[in-house]
Amino acid sequence: MTHPVLYPDSCIPYPEMPHTLFIADLHLSESHPHTAAQFLRFAQDVAPKAEALYILGDLFEYWAGDDDLDTPFHRQICGALSKLAAGGTRIFIMHGNRDFLMDEALAAACNAQLLNDPTLIDLYGQATLLTHGDILCTGDSAYQQFRATVRGTDWRSQFLSQPLRQRKAQIEQLRAQSEQSKREKAMAIMDVSNEAVLALLRHHDYPRLIHGHTHRPAKHLHHADGHTCERWVLGDWDTQANALLVDSTSVQQLKLS
Amino acid sequence: MKLIRIILASLLVALCILPAQAASLTKGKLKMVKIETNHGTFTLQLDAEKAPITTQNFLDYVNSGFYSNVVFHRVIPNFMIQGGGFEPGMKQKKTNDPIKNEAANGLKNDKYTIAMARTGDPHSGSSQFFINTKNNSFLDYPGQDGWGYCVFGKVVEGTDVIDAIAKVKTGSSGFHQDVPKEDVIIIKAEVLQ
Repeated sequence: MTHPVLYPDSCIPYPEMPHTLFIADLHLSESHPHTAAQFLRFAQDVAPKAEALYILGDLFEYWAGDDDLDTPFHRQICGALSKLAAGGTRIFIMHGNRDFLMDEALAAACNAQLLNDPTLIDLYGQATLLTHGDILCTGDSAYQQFRATVRGTDWRSQFLSQPLRQRKAQIEQLRAQSEQSKREKAMAIMDVSNEAVLALLRHHDYPRLIHGHTHRPAKHLHHADGHTCERWVLGDWDTQANALLVDSTSVQQLKLS
Repeated sequence: MKLIRIILASLLVALCILPAQAASLTKGKLKMVKIETNHGTFTLQLDAEKAPITTQNFLDYVNSGFYSNVVFHRVIPNFMIQGGGFEPGMKQKKTNDPIKNEAANGLKNDKYTIAMARTGDPHSGSSQFFINTKNNSFLDYPGQDGWGYCVFGKVVEGTDVIDAIAKVKTGSSGFHQDVPKEDVIIIKAEVLQ
């Protein structure tokens, strides 16, 4: 069921139930103006009705460091989020595998709060675990090794000590390598591992789980130790805007084109 | 003697008029409206003192027969039932000019109160209203947008009818969500004296 969030004004849809929106994997970059336009439209027309917006990683195609904030494109994106927050919608941003160098300066520019991965929240009375999703792809050991390296403080300070231009060049190289290896990897290992999901659910006392990263939007049910947990996977923004709308009574997939 | 009788008679007449005036003064602050639907009838008590513009606006629609054959087009369980804008088939009716938002009047969006629906523009309320089916305090002034939703009365009789409407099966109709699958129709709305 799709939720029509863009009502013509004349239809007076208000009042709205308090609800929270989840998005991920927008991969915003200047080379994809259509997606950026979708996002700006979402931030202006859809998101203001929500009491909170959670961005669960890969908001940007890449993030070379907060000193890259001052480009017109980044200012435009951050400005839209900042305006959204000023209107009363709380914004939370989680690192993805692409934009894990996002830091406090970016958060401040967006009037948002950075979230740890994973983070457990109380969502209208239901415990809900939020994660980008890459930590669940344990079948891809090469990636997990890479992740462990680049999320370390040593690698981070070494990387950020380089001039911005040099960092961007390295990122380009890493992206090219990643695209190549994705073509070579089996589809199966690029999805989440069932064992990893169950372990995470057990560790956090069987919550509902929401994540992105795999670009495979769906609702899954996991049975563990007598509990049934919902796992909601967010869709990416390659062809259309995808969001999850959660209120006290339901979870709905939104598709906006 | 005749003069005394005249004075006494005038006093008697005056005494008869005064209580009636006092009664109508009290009655003037609270307006009673009966709404007959295909699920039963309920009575609204509107607060003309706390929400004068909103009450008068609603009464104008009632008195012009606007609400006859108008539906409750948006029903969300544990939230509210909304109507007053569409005829069956989701045909939107043309309304009067929008009114000022009077939400800062101290009245709360408690269960069974009636409030003005609107767009994101705080002063866009016209004919559409909603009846809270739960205490929705987040809608109270200042609300989430600094304005909130103006409560202008409550259901004083027939809350079972509101409960019945709140339970109807809903689905999508065009781009509208939460539309009752079988029309919930206001047959007639009238002001009670």
